[in-house]
Amino acid sequence: MSKLGSTFLWIGVAVVGAFSFAALALGRGENVSAVWLVTAALCVYFIAYRFYSKYIAERVLQLDDTRPTPAVRHNDGMDYVPTNKWVLYGHHFAAIAGAGPLVGPVLAAQMGYLPGTLWILAGVVVAGAVQDFIVLFASVRRDGKSLGEMIKMELGALPGSLALVGVLAIMIIILAVLSLIVVKALTGSPRGLFTIAATIPIALAMGVYMRILRPGRVGEASVFGVVLLLASIIFGRDVAASATLAPLFTLTGTQLAWALIVYGAVAASLPVWLMLAPRDYLSTFLKIGTVCALAIGIYIVAPPLAMPQTTRFIDGSGPVFSGSLFPFLFITIACGAVSGFHSLISSGTTPKMVERESHMRFIGFGGMLAESFVAIMALSAACVLDPGIYFAMNAPAAVIGTTPANAAQVISSWGFTITPEMIGQTAVDIGENSILSRAGGAPTLAVGMAQILAKALGGKSMEAFWYHFAILFEALFILTAVDAGTRVGRFMIQDMLGHVYRPLGNTEFLPANVFATVLCVGAWGYFLYQGVVDPLGGINTLWQLFGVGNQMLAGIALLLCTAMLVKMKRERYIWVTVVPTVWLLITTLTAGVQKIFHSDPAIGFIALARKFSAAAAQGTVLAPAKSIAEMQRVAFNNYLDAVVCTVFVLLVLAMCWYTIAICRRALRQAAPTAHEIPPLTPQGAPA
Amino acid sequence: MNDEAARVTRDNAQGSEESGADPNRARRWLRTVRQGWNQVVGIPDYERYLAHHAAHHPGEPVLSRRQFFERAIDHKYCRSGPRCC
Repeated sequence: MSKLGSTFLWIGVAVVGAFSFAALALGRGENVSAVWLVTAALCVYFIAYRFYSKYIAERVLQLDDTRPTPAVRHNDGMDYVPTNKWVLYGHHFAAIAGAGPLVGPVLAAQMGYLPGTLWILAGVVVAGAVQDFIVLFASVRRDGKSLGEMIKMELGALPGSLALVGVLAIMIIILAVLSLIVVKALTGSPRGLFTIAATIPIALAMGVYMRILRPGRVGEASVFGVVLLLASIIFGRDVAASATLAPLFTLTGTQLAWALIVYGAVAASLPVWLMLAPRDYLSTFLKIGTVCALAIGIYIVAPPLAMPQTTRFIDGSGPVFSGSLFPFLFITIACGAVSGFHSLISSGTTPKMVERESHMRFIGFGGMLAESFVAIMALSAACVLDPGIYFAMNAPAAVIGTTPANAAQVISSWGFTITPEMIGQTAVDIGENSILSRAGGAPTLAVGMAQILAKALGGKSMEAFWYHFAILFEALFILTAVDAGTRVGRFMIQDMLGHVYRPLGNTEFLPANVFATVLCVGAWGYFLYQGVVDPLGGINTLWQLFGVGNQMLAGIALLLCTAMLVKMKRERYIWVTVVPTVWLLITTLTAGVQKIFHSDPAIGFIALARKFSAAAAQGTVLAPAKSIAEMQRVAFNNYLDAVVCTVFVLLVLAMCWYTIAICRRALRQAAPTAHEIPPLTPQGAPA
Repeated sequence: MNDEAARVTRDNAQGSEESGADPNRARRWLRTVRQGWNQVVGIPDYERYLAHHAAHHPGEPVLSRRQFFERAIDHKYCRSGPRCC
C-alpha cells in the first residue's frame, strides 16, 4: 500500500474510533447500540497494534530475525516446532482465553458500561498486551524458560521461590472461584447439569477413539464430539421435563460442591489422554467458534445497551461486589485488561513454537488484544440485558431474597424497575426454574448471549437452547481448567514438598502423587465449599481475592520485564513497563490493604470477622448466618482470607524491593548483564 | 525408513512440482487445514515429524503414529505450566 493510502487508512480508523467513543460517551438512554462499543474497541486495538506494538518491537525490544528462536535451535518435530504465525496465534489465544475475561466484565457491569470499557481498553494497551509480549520475548531469548526460572535467572533464587509460592496460591484461589461459578450456574438446574455431566462420557469416548481406534485423528473425534454435545443440550430438555430423571440431576449447592471436589480428584488422577485432552479439544473449538458467533451476532442484531453509562454503585455500595470504583474496578476486571496468568502461558509452550522473533509482536501483543475483545463482548452481552434482570441474577440472596416478588421489589427500589413477571418470564425463556442470585458471570453472560444469538438465529424458541449452549461452553473450559490446574498444582506441591522430604517429591511414586493431589484438591475444595455456604455470596469475596492475586502476578511479571530491560542497558525505554507496573502496584496494594483493613465489614475481611466473632461471643446470631457455629465459621474464613491477602501484599512488596536492588546494580554496570542466549556470529556458531 | 515416512517424502516431492489441475492440490490443502487445526489445539503434526526425522536423523528408529501422539499428549499436559483463568 502506498504511504499516502496508509495514512488515510489510519486516519479513517481513528475517525471511526473517535465517532464510536462519542456515541458511547454522549449517547443517552436506549439509543446507544452495542455496535458502538465493539467498534470503538476494535479501532483502539488496530491503532495500538499498528503503532505502539511496532514501537515496542522495533525500538524497545529490537526484535532480530537473524537470531534463531528455541523452535529453530531445538527443532525436534514435537515439542519445539517452528510454527506458522497464524496457527500459533490461534494456539496462544486458545491457551490464554479462559473464563476470566467472561466473568470480570460481567461483574463490573454493575457500575455501568463505561468504566469497565475504559479500563479494559486502556489496561490492555498499556499493561496487558505489553506484559504478554515482553514476557514472550524474554522467554524466547532464554530458550523457552518459564516465568519462575526467568525470575531466578534475572532477580535471584529467593525471589524465584517466592514467586512460585505466589503462583501456587493464586492457582488455588482461581480453581476455587472457577468451580464456584459452575456451582452457581448448575444449582437446581437439571438441564444444565445433565448437559455438563454428558460431557464426561463424550470425552471418554473421544479419548478412546483418538488413542486406540484412530490415533491422533483429532478432527474426526472433535466433529462427532460436538454433534453429541449438541444432542445432549436438546435431550437435556426432556431430562428436565421427566419426572424420574429430573430429580437425579437436581442438586443443591453443597452437593454440587462435593461432586466437583470428587471430580477434581478423580479427573486429575486419570491418564491425560482419556479425559483431559479430548475435553480440551472440544472446549478449544467451542471457544473459538462461540467468540466468533457472538461478534457476528452483535453486528447483526445491534442490540441497544440497556445498562446506563454509569450507575450509582460506583460509590462502592453495589450488590454484586462491594468497594468503590477505585481500586476495585481494576481488581474485578483482571483478564481482558491485564492478567498475570498470561505470563505463565507466554513462558510456557508458545515460546517453544515461535518461528521468528518478529512474529512475537503479532502473537504476544495481538493475542492479548483478541482476549480483550472477548472481554468487551462479555461486557456488551451483560449490558444488553435489562438492568433489573442483571441485578436479579447477580445480587446475593441475602440482599434480594429468594422469591421473584421480593427481588423485584428490592431491585426496583434501587431505581431499576422490574416486575416479578419479567423475572419469571426470563427464567421460562431460558428453560430454567429460577434466575435469582446466579452470581459469577457465566449465567448472566449466557442469558445475554442467548438473547443476542436467538435474535440472530432461531428466534425466541431457541433462547433456551442458546442459554444452555453458552453454559455448556463456559462449564466445559472451566472443568478443563480445574482438571489441568489440579495437575499443575500437584506438580508444584510435589516440587516444594520434595525439598522437605525427598520421597514426597517423586512424581513416579503413587502415594506421593495421591498425597499431593489430595492436598491440592483439599485446598481449593475448602475455599469452594466456603464460598458455596457463604450466605453473603462467595463470589463476592473469592473473585476479588483472585483479582488481587492475579494483578499482583502481572505486577511481578512486569517487574521482571523492567529488570530485564535495565540489564539489557535499554533503560531509556523502561517507561514502557514501569508505567503499567506502577499502576498495577497502586491499585492492587490499595485494594489488598482495603480488603484486609477496611473498617466497612462489607469490604474488609478483618472488620467482618470481628463483627461476627464479637456477636457470636455475645450469643447473638447475625443474619444471614443461622447459628452460632455458622457465625464462627464466617469469622474464621474471613481471617483466613485476610491471611491470604496479606501473603499477596508482602510478596509483591518483596519482589519490588529485589527488583529495585537489581536494577540499581545493573545501572552501575557499563555492559549488558541480562542472561540472554547470545546471537549467532557470522560463522553461524553461537558467540 | 518405514512406509509412512516413505509416503510423506514422496508426497513432499510431488508437492514441490507446481501443476495447474493437480488432484493432489485438494489433498494438500486439506492437510494444511488439518495441520493448522491440530496445532491450534496443541497437537503436533506426525507427517512433519517424519519429514523432520528423515531429513535430520536418517536411519534412526522412528516413532509410530500411535507412539508419537501418546508422547505428544503426555508432554503437553505434564510439562506445560498452569493454564489461564
